[in-house]
This record gives sequence, structure tokens and C-alpha cells, in this order.
Amino acid sequence: MRNTFVDAYPDQARFIRRVFATSFTAFAVGAFFGLIQALHRTDILRVVESPTYYTVLTGHGVFLVLSFTIFFLVGVYQWAVTDSLERRPVDMRFTWGWYGLMVLGTLLAAFAILAGFVESIDVSANTLFTFYAPLQGHPIFYVGLVLFVVGTWLAGADWFRSWLAWKGEHPGERIPLPTFMVLTTMIMWYISSIGVAVAILAFILPWSLGIVDSINPTLTRTLFWYFGHPVVYFWLLPAYLLWYILLPKLSGGRLFSDPLARVVFILFILLSTPVGIHHQYLDPGIAEGFKFIVMTNTMFLLLPSFLTAFTVVASMEHGARQRGGTGYVGWLRALPWREPAFTGMALAGLVFAFGGFTGIVNAGMNINYLVHNSLWVPGHIHTQVGTASALTFMAGSYWLVPQLTGNRLVGRSIGLVQVLLWFIGIVFMTNSMYRGGLVGIPRRTAEPQYEGFQYEVAAGSVGELNAQLAIGGILLFISAMLFLALMLLTLFNRDSEPVDNRTIPAPLSGPEDSPAVLDNLKLWAAIAAVLVLLAYTIPLASIVTRGGLFGPDIGPFPVTIEGSGSIELVRMGLEFALETVSR
Amino acid sequence: MRLTLPRLLLVIAFLIVILVEFRTVLGFFDIAVPFTTAVIVGVVVIGALVLWSLLSSGEGSNE
Repeated sequence: MRNTFVDAYPDQARFIRRVFATSFTAFAVGAFFGLIQALHRTDILRVVESPTYYTVLTGHGVFLVLSFTIFFLVGVYQWAVTDSLERRPVDMRFTWGWYGLMVLGTLLAAFAILAGFVESIDVSANTLFTFYAPLQGHPIFYVGLVLFVVGTWLAGADWFRSWLAWKGEHPGERIPLPTFMVLTTMIMWYISSIGVAVAILAFILPWSLGIVDSINPTLTRTLFWYFGHPVVYFWLLPAYLLWYILLPKLSGGRLFSDPLARVVFILFILLSTPVGIHHQYLDPGIAEGFKFIVMTNTMFLLLPSFLTAFTVVASMEHGARQRGGTGYVGWLRALPWREPAFTGMALAGLVFAFGGFTGIVNAGMNINYLVHNSLWVPGHIHTQVGTASALTFMAGSYWLVPQLTGNRLVGRSIGLVQVLLWFIGIVFMTNSMYRGGLVGIPRRTAEPQYEGFQYEVAAGSVGELNAQLAIGGILLFISAMLFLALMLLTLFNRDSEPVDNRTIPAPLSGPEDSPAVLDNLKLWAAIAAVLVLLAYTIPLASIVTRGGLFGPDIGPFPVTIEGSGSIELVRMGLEFALETVSR
Repeated sequence: MRLTLPRLLLVIAFLIVILVEFRTVLGFFDIAVPFTTAVIVGVVVIGALVLWSLLSSGEGSNE
């Protein structure tokens, strides 16, 4: 008898399908913007004026690294919690509520960004994904971001509620591993997203509304990066969940160690947040000593990555040997390479390893100076969120979407070509970006070439690097479109056989092999809070003491239009509300 | 066919990636491999692989 997720939980499957549809829509728009950028920067095809490039760049960042990834996260986590606790949410209306809030936030932010293309609308938000001062966007953009983040907070509350209800029904039992991963991710997210909430609500939004005239850029940048590094793990941890839960099953085996997986996720709670200042090595106003401490913290983050590499590869080897694989490396041949779900995730893990090595360069205080603000950095982020996360999400969808629809995956072979194209495309593009970054080619500019100056490229020429970047971008775009086409065709496929069953095999080493303290979430959250206080209290106090809360009279960089009617309206509304409250 | 089609595609993908990265590594040791040379080497190696896979007899994969 068929046993898919949609058979067991049809209402949940419907909900997750909706969430994935939102995620994939954002992916389509963001991927298209990526193609425009790749061709524009390399001066191969320019369909927009260079000033408009920054609107495209903002859209590319926000739609991909916030909308695509985080909607996918909430979809996967909804699946993971439901499947592992074997229960529906306590109140499905609440679940639809947080999803609606996230959609509303996305639409508002998307409107603010896309309006930048239309001259007749006096709204824009060309702030890039890293929306800190002095770049200023329209207030609607920030309101959208706030609603989106609040939606994710409520999603976390929903999952905690489900877990507490389950706990009442199963006293003394260990938290099922997928739910454990969800809860620990959300603890990390709650701790880290406070930074961006304070930055927007206390400083950037009032500043964009004209309620305050000035802002302290160092303070808002520090608050942004307080959130800006952990958000990387918010993109990455759903990929980790799929590597730990799904990849061993697809390999034909079982997870090597449940306890190691728990340790990894706890390490992310502890270490994700007190490291953000490593994005600010070149910022004046933060003492070098604090930067050094943060560098040390950052290097500790290698530990969970190494543990993951070991556990996941051990699980794959176990699976391969179950399938008849033998030898020290000969077992690799026994893996199911024809399955796009498996191959995509395995390749994503491989690229993630390379991204990790380049991340060590970013994290090192001395060598960071070599690559800071250069094209190296987009190279790094495209190997990480652009492949470790994105390719894992696409590959995971090849297994998950049939589970959610009950429909057989259409075009399995094309799916394999799709993940291989992504692998080749990302290597072409990021290799070019890394090499360009090493010789100082800047990022975040529509015009990376300077007159009367030539970069000394180690091998080849800048023209060749550009060609490589453009080819990579085109391959990635084709791959993205292939993926979306296969998802659409699978959604409407009437053929329902064969679809894998939803059962996840028990780990080789289960939770009973680990101490119960690993499940003490309050303890880990408390330690994480202490570490954050140690890492940030003195730097923040120092920044505020020197520059003041609202800064040394820093005005906005003109990316929004003064005197806009809608801004005035929102400002008047807020001022009226404040007056009412103060009475 | 010596290799199944999925395996052949996978090996080609890895060859392309290795070619791109290896050329970069050589560049850091001051060994400049011209772009056209890299393309020709790639075409020859991948072509040889495809021919070997198509022309030689073998059980292929049973995956």
C-alpha cells in the first residue's frame, strides 16, 4: 500500500505545496535578476541602465536569500515537524496566519523593490539585501521585512506549540531528531533576528519615515551583522536537515549518528550569533581586540561543519555498502547517482566544502583584508547559499514534491541533467568570482572596470573571467528554469506510481546513545544568550558612547524620493499613534 | 555501453569542473594554460571518454 506524506496528512501537504509555490515563485524572479546581473556586469548584454542595476541586485538578493530560502525552510520544517511528531499543528488557522503574514511582508517588500523600475511611482528600495545605512529605502520595504520576520517567529512558535503538545502525550521521550533540528534552528533564529528587528524598528524605519533626522551607521551595521551571519545558518540548516534525514535514506542506508547530529545543531545555537563582527573587519569604530575575539569564535564554527561532513559521508557509505558497494572508495560507485535528489544533494555538499575553505579566508582577520568587498565574497556566497542551500533545496524537492502531491516525479533524467548543470554553472561562475576577487575586482557595482588600469589576473585575462562568469550565470539560469518546469509538470502529473514511501529509517546510533542534556533546549538557549552578551555588550556600548544612538548627523544616501505622499501618510499615522499612546 | 548514461554525465560534469579548477591551480604556480588549450584538452578528454564508453563493451552499472 502506498504510504506518502500526502496520504497521511493531506491538509498539511496542501499547506506545504502552497509554501513551496511561494518559494519557487521568488526563485524564478530572483534567478532572472541573477541572469541580468551576470550579463550586465560582464558587459555582454545590458537590458537595464547601470543605475537600475542596483534595483536588480536588491531584488536578486532579497528574493533569493530571504524569500526563496526562508519560504522553503518553513515548508520543509512544517513537513519535518508533522512527519516526525506524527501530528498536525494545534491550530491550523494559526499556521495559515503566519504564512499569510510572511506573504504580506514579501509582497510589500517586493512592491518597494520592483517600484524602482517604474519612474512614475515614487517608491524605491535600492538598498541591496544588506539594507543598512546610509542606503535608505522606502518605509514600505522595511515594514514588509518586519512582517516577514514576525511571520517566521510565529512559525517557530507554532512548531514549539506542536512539540509541547506532543511532549504532553509522550512524557519522558526524546525529541524526534527532525523536530529537534527545527526547534534548535528556531532558537538560533530568535536570538539572532532580534538584532535586525531592533535595527529596523528603533532606527532605520523611523529614519526612513523622517521621524528622526540622523542615524548611527556603525550601530545599524553592527546590528545588521549581528543577524547577518546567523541568517546564513538559517538558510543552511534546512539543507543540513535534508542531508541528515533524507540523504542517508536516498543512499540506501541509515543516519550514522543521531547524537552527533544533535551536537551539531546545538553548536549552531551557541556559535552562530557571537561572530557577526567578522563581517566588519574593515569597519572603523570597532576595536581590533573585539574583532580578534570574533575571529576565534568564527573558527569554532568549522567544528559543526566537519562533524556534518563526517556523519553524512559515513551515512552515505553505510547506504552504499547496503547496496553492495565494496572497497575503500569503490563503494562510491554503488550510490544512486541516477537519482537527481541524491546527486544534487551530494554535489551540494561537495561544493559546500569548497565554500567552507573560502569562508576560512573571509573569517581570517588578516587575509580578509585581501578579499574584503571584492568579487571573492559573492563567489563565496554563491557556493554556500547559492549551492549548498539552493541545490539541496532543488534536489530535496525531487523527493519532497512527489510526497506532497502523490504524483510521480516527471523527467527524472532531466532532473539529473539539471543538478549537473547547476554544479558546472556554479563552478564556472564562482571560479571566475574568486579569481577576480583575488586581484581586487570589486563587488556590488554595475561598472567593475576602470579606465587606465588593468587587473593582473593570475591566469588568463579579465575578458576571459567575464566570459566564464557569464557562461556560469547562463547555465545556472537554464538549470533553474529546468527545475521549475519539472516541478510544474510534476504538480500536474496524473501518474501516481511509483512514489517512494515516507518512512525515514532509524539511525544506526539513536538518541538513546546520547545524554538527555542534549535535549535541554533552555540550557543551550541560556548559554547562547550569555555568549552573545559577552561578544556584543562592550562593542555596542563603545559604538553608542562614541557616536550616539542616532549618530553623528548622517543623512540618507538618496535612494528614496523625498516628500513622497505615501511616506508622509505613514509618518503622520505613526506620529498620531505615538501621541495617542503618550496621552 | 561501459558506463550508464547517468554515470557518464556525472563523470563529464566532474571533468569539466576539474579542468576549470586545475587550470586555476596551475596559474598560481605560474604555469599559464591558454584558454584555447584548455578548451581543446577538455574536448579531447571528454570525447575520448564518450568514445570509450560507447565503443567498449562492458556490463555497465546495475544501479
